[in-house]
Parts: sequence; C-alpha cells; structure tokens
Amino acid sequence: MVAYLIGRVLQTLLSMLVVISIVFVLTRLSGNPVNLLLDVNATQRDFDLLTRHLGLDKPLPVQYGIYVKNIVQGDFGKSVLSRRPVIEHIRERLPATVELGVVAMLLSVLIGVPIGVYSAVRRGGVLDSAARVFAVLGQSLPPFWLGLMLILFFGVILGVLPAGGRGGLQHLLLPAFTLGYFTSAAIMRLTRSSMLEVLGADYIKFARLKGLHEQIVLWKHGLKNALLPVITFAVLLFVQFLGGAVVTETVFAWPGLGRLILESITTRDYPIVQAGVLVLSALYLIGNLLVDMLYSWLNPKIRYRSTAG
Amino acid sequence: MAWRRCCSVLIVVVLAGTLGVGLASAQQPQGTLTVAVATFGNERWLAHLYPGAEDVVLKPMMENLLSRDLKTGDLSPMLAERWEVLEEGRAWRFSLRKGVQFHDGHGEMTAEDIKFTIASIAKEGSANGLAPEFRLIKSMEIDDPYTITFRFEKPFVAFGNKVTQGLFASSAFIHSKHYIETVGEEAAERHPVGTGPWKFVEHIRGDRIVYEAVENHWRAVPHFKRLVFLKVPEPATRMAMLRAGSVDVIEIGGEYVEELKKVGVRTLTMPNVAWLCVLLGGQWPSKSTYDPTVPWALPDAERARKVRQALNLAVDKQAIMQQVLGGLGSVLGSWLIYPTDPWATEALMRPYPYDPPKAKALLAEAGYPKGFEVTMNLTAWPGRGYLPDVGEAVATYWEKVGLKVKRRPVDRAVFSADFRARAYSGVTLAYAAPLVGLEPWEFLIRAGYTKATGGNLFIEHAQLDAFIERLSTEPDRAERVRIVRDELGPWLYEYVPGVAIGAVHTIVGAGPRVGDWPLIPGHMGFHNWEYVTHGR
Repeated sequence: MVAYLIGRVLQTLLSMLVVISIVFVLTRLSGNPVNLLLDVNATQRDFDLLTRHLGLDKPLPVQYGIYVKNIVQGDFGKSVLSRRPVIEHIRERLPATVELGVVAMLLSVLIGVPIGVYSAVRRGGVLDSAARVFAVLGQSLPPFWLGLMLILFFGVILGVLPAGGRGGLQHLLLPAFTLGYFTSAAIMRLTRSSMLEVLGADYIKFARLKGLHEQIVLWKHGLKNALLPVITFAVLLFVQFLGGAVVTETVFAWPGLGRLILESITTRDYPIVQAGVLVLSALYLIGNLLVDMLYSWLNPKIRYRSTAG
Repeated sequence: MAWRRCCSVLIVVVLAGTLGVGLASAQQPQGTLTVAVATFGNERWLAHLYPGAEDVVLKPMMENLLSRDLKTGDLSPMLAERWEVLEEGRAWRFSLRKGVQFHDGHGEMTAEDIKFTIASIAKEGSANGLAPEFRLIKSMEIDDPYTITFRFEKPFVAFGNKVTQGLFASSAFIHSKHYIETVGEEAAERHPVGTGPWKFVEHIRGDRIVYEAVENHWRAVPHFKRLVFLKVPEPATRMAMLRAGSVDVIEIGGEYVEELKKVGVRTLTMPNVAWLCVLLGGQWPSKSTYDPTVPWALPDAERARKVRQALNLAVDKQAIMQQVLGGLGSVLGSWLIYPTDPWATEALMRPYPYDPPKAKALLAEAGYPKGFEVTMNLTAWPGRGYLPDVGEAVATYWEKVGLKVKRRPVDRAVFSADFRARAYSGVTLAYAAPLVGLEPWEFLIRAGYTKATGGNLFIEHAQLDAFIERLSTEPDRAERVRIVRDELGPWLYEYVPGVAIGAVHTIVGAGPRVGDWPLIPGHMGFHNWEYVTHGR
C-alpha cells in the first residue's frame, strides 16, 4: 500500500510539472500583456521599459527556469496587472469557488441519489420515466441558458432570490443549482444503474426473505453497496466544480477562481493563469489520489490487489 | 403682547429647529447605490499605472484640476478655481482651491501634489495615456502652495482638456504626494486616497469596489451613503439584476435599447460619446511597414482615394446605426465631427450616400473591376462591444460590391501589438474613438500626426501635419473653430481617410432608486455619481 501511494504521489508530481510546462508555453503564445498594460499611444521606450520591469525581456527558457525555481520555493510570483502576490488573488477567490462547489455537490447528491434509488425501484413506472426526463434535461440544457432562465424566473419574475453576485445562502442557491443540475442528472443515472445491479444480488433477495422492511433493504443494504461508484464520481465532480464553473460564475457574477483565470487569460496575466491552473490541477490530481485511496479502503478486493501488487 | 412675542420666538425656534433638522437630513447621505459594469479596466489606482479604462470606477474618488460645464460643455473649475493661459499657450497657470482635503485626514491638496501627479504620469514607463502629452511640459513652477505654472516649449493650447474631469478618460487625477511617499506605492495601491466626494472602502479584484460618501465634501455631498461597483461581465445578467432590483444602474450597449424598453426599464442616453468608423490600415508611406499594393494606400493618390470613396459608398451606414446600434447615433460625413460642435456645418455632417453601383464604378475606375481581397479584424474594445458586429456588417456590404473579405476575430491584446507597430497594412477594423478632446484635431494628433511621440496610428499626410501644427499652436479658439470648419473638416471630407459612420451615443439602464442624474455632454462612461439623487 505504501509503495502504491508513493508511486501515485510521484505520478501526481510529474503530471503537475507537465501541466505547468504546457500552461507556461501556451500563455506566452497568446500575446504580450504589456500591450494591454499601456495605452496604444505609448512609445516604444515605455513598452521596452515595462517589458524589462516585468522580466518579460528574458529568453523563454530563462523565464521558465525562474518560474519553476520560484514554484519549488512556494513563490507563485506577482500579478502582471496588480503587482500583488498571485497567492493573494487565489486566496481571495478560492473560498467563493469552494463554497459554490460544496453546495452544488450537496445539491447534486441530495437530488440525484434519492431519485436514482426510486427510479431503480420503480423501474419502468411513471417515476422512472419522469426521472429519465429529468436526467436527459439535466445533461442537455446548457448551463448559461439554464442560469439565465433561473435568474429570470426566481430573480426577476418571482423576485424571491438574488439575480447575481455573492452574499448569503440566498445568493448561492441559483448558481449552485445551475452547476449541480447537470451532475445531479449524472449521479441519478449512476445511482439508478448501480442500484439495479445491487437489487438483483442474492443478499438483497435474502434480506427480503428474512422479512426486513423494504426501506431498510433499500437504504441500508442496497444503497450502501450501490454508493461506491457514486462516491468516487462525486469526489471527482467536486474537484471539477472548483475549476469548471467558469460559465456559471460568469452568468451569476460569482467571484470565483474559474472567473479569475478566465479574466487573467483575456488580460494575459500569465502568473495568475499559471498559478490558477496549477492549483486546480493539483486539486484534481489530489482528488484523484484520494478517490483511489478511498476506493481501495471501501473495497477490500482492490486493497488486497494493490497490497499484493 | 409679551405672550405674543414669546409665541413668535417659540415658533421661530421650532421652525428653525425643524428646518435645521430637515436640512441636515436632506444633506445626510443615505442608502446604497449599486452599479453593475462590464469591466473595471486594469484595476490600478496610481497615476502612472492606469492606462485610462479605470476612468469609470476612479471618478467617484478622484478629482482633476478642471471639469466641464453641464450645460455648455466648456471647461469649468474643479480643484483649480481659476486658470490663465499665458504667453499664447506656452504657459498655463492654475490657482488652486484652498482647504481641499485628501481623504482619511491625509492633508490639504496643494501645488506639490499637482506637480507630483503630473510628473508621475509623464515619467518613463508610465502606462498613463496622457504620458506623451505631459512629456511636452518643460517645467512646473510652484509659485506658492496654491499656484502652479506649467511651461511648454511650444504653445499647448488644449492643455486644459488634458486636466479635465469632464472627458473620458480623465487620467490626470490628483494624488497625494505625502500619502504615497509615506506609505509607499504598494500600500497606496491597496488603499488609494483622493479628494473626490467618495472615499475608498474596499476593492476585491474582479468582483467589487466599495466607496463611502465624504460627508463634508467641499464640492458635493453625495445623496447616497455607499456606492458599490460590481463587475458583471454578462450583459443579460446585468439586465436581470437591474430588473430584479439587485443593482440600480447598469452599463449596457445600445443594441439592448429595444429590449430594455420592452421590459419597461428606464434608460438615460449619453449623447455623442464616440466617433464610429472603419480604419483602413496602411496609409503610412514613410514607414517600413508600408505596402504599396494595398488598394486604398496606393502611391497613386487619386486611385487610392477612389478606392476609399468606393468603400464608403458601398456601406449602408444608416442601416448599421439602426440595426447594430439600436438607432443610438447619427450618421455623419466628415471625420470626428459631432452635430453639437460649433464647426458642424450641414455640408460636413452630410453622410456619404449608400450607392453600391457607384462604388462598383469607382472600384473599376481605380483598376479593381473584380474587387480585391481584404481582411476585416473583428476586435472588441472596452465599453464598445458592438464593434465586431459593425465590422461584420461592413464586411457583408463590401462583399456585395465584389470584395472578398476575410474575417479575422482577434483579441485586443494580440492586435494591440500590430496597432502600435503599424503592422496592419491591408487590414481594416471597425473602431469607435471616444471623445478624448473637445476639438477633433486633438484626436488626430494620436491618429495621424507624424511628429507625435507615440500615436500616428493609421494615417499620415503632410497636409494633416500642417493642420495639426497650426491648430495646436493657435491660441484663439474662435480661429481654431474657423480652421476646423472651413479647412480641416472639408479636407478630411474630400480626402476620405476611411469609412465614416458617425457619432454614437451610449445608454445607461437605471432602476427606481435612481432619481435625477446630471451628465456632462459627450462624456463616455459613468460619472457625476455625487449628483445622483434618490428616486421618488
């Protein structure tokens, strides 16, 4: 198990090095930020001075070397635009993103799992059909459209929820649902198929023969075993929510990390893009690692194989 | 009698007390005014760090030496209560208002602060759009703490327009020398200080900027206690937030005007804030990037002019103004002239007609009977999101007269490098020049004066240089008006530098909490927040 973990950690570090190298090259291919920092009327001398001041006059391999060295020392650099440490920007935005991600994931699970269970139990029935419609809609409605419709209905027509911005729990509901609906549909489908498989197992038949109450059979014996793939999927989803909520964050004017990265791409703020992607990829890779560990912990067969291997 | 006198005194005391309380509460800022804008610019607050797009969010907190009159648009006092133009424009003397305080007790504004700010804008490496012009200052003399004189080698007759709050972008906001030198630039960036009617409270980058009213401000005590700017990039969200009452004011493009009317949202129009045209890149024969095969920049001036004329006649400007800009603007002929200008004659305002058959004939006369290939850059600029749509519409009209148009969606950051280096010969783009000076030649210094330190972005011509030199050194405004009306305007009309579309307006969506809002004519971008009253 220890060897397995060490291997996975090394893989994770290697993946992160690849990610930062790709991001470093791509950001520099996209244009010089000095063009946006100066007025179009600025002289070539102003342009050269600012380029030098930002260290962008050095050859790319030198810039790359400095960048990697600084990261190893925990220094993500300063924003090209604000000249504030990048880590401050990330720290400022990460709570909003985590807050949205957590609530969206909770909503996904709370909606997706019960509907998935009942859909499996009432297979072919009205509820199952309705659940399938719910799933198809959830996976086919574009988040920007759904978000705007929710804003229009709950914010403008009913006036019961804020139309955008970050504030209390009320501000969270619409963006979290927009973000979570797509995945709740996926969780519902996964729970349904997993439950269908589990409900056909011998131990479920045995539990029923023993005369256990149907709810206990379903929720205690059935769901507990069916949840394994759902949990792993949900953890990965959560990590995806952290970086993949750009559309939702933009529509709801939610000041999260995804929007910060998007804005930094448009302003060529290399250090923020690099650090943001690095943080998100680190979270993703760590999430993957945790899922693997969780899986091997939940499923003794996997643990045995890993240990044996 | 004594009783009567006593009663009278009592009534006077009660009335005075009531009135006094009434006045105090009327002047007491109340409530929050929340504004949703698409961008905060680069979000830099020191004079040498903002290129200009921060104008909208800096204006509440900062002030300039001068402003502009709400009715006439003429220069008016602000931090300077008087100014004199001396030595035929070679010197400008400003007498400062006494007792104007920087926020949070950072002292009185004096001539030292003016000198410090202007020097900071002019220094090498400055990002401020006024840097090239402020480098023309030969000396800054502080006669006493409230008087400063700027001296120039040559007359700088429009210097007042560079230090006014009444234009976009007013980049010469006055900063506190003492504060910045005491706390350092980094700390001053985190907590900027100005003399405006609103003081800084909080800035969360890319999310919000919060200001609080200065309750005893020398010029105007705001009606609202707090002013909050939210960055909401998506226009549909901004509209929904306004309709839901989450915000009180939104920045919105003219293309949404009909939609706003349909849902009953109140709109305010800011008229004649920018001049819309299509730039034809490559008209710079003295530069190494000049390409003599570009049809509108041929060495044969008459053939090139026919091509430029054809490109104008091929475009239905009225339809673009109506369909793309929601009718918010006026189609005009001669360049950089607004209908309210003193030099705007009927002849100069007359648009080039929409005449595709004549356009085809002119192309044939110029040697292009089958048209030619052209690139149209589709680039959005801050606050002018409609430009790619204008470019697309123009491209479609050009195709109808036989041109083969290659659309090139390109980001501003990428194109800016070409723009600066004039490396876009043969490339065209829709552009809206904001009203950066009160006289058209002020913009032409940037766009087409070969001796400018920066600028000279798309055209060069000896005649244009001569006009700019005459106008920029002519101290008599009446004479400048005459030159523009009778000489420069007609010359531009005949020369046809590009595709003239006209003057455009912009709109503001305002909610029920917003009452009166006096706006300066021709000022692009939000301003005058301190004068916004509560809605009834």
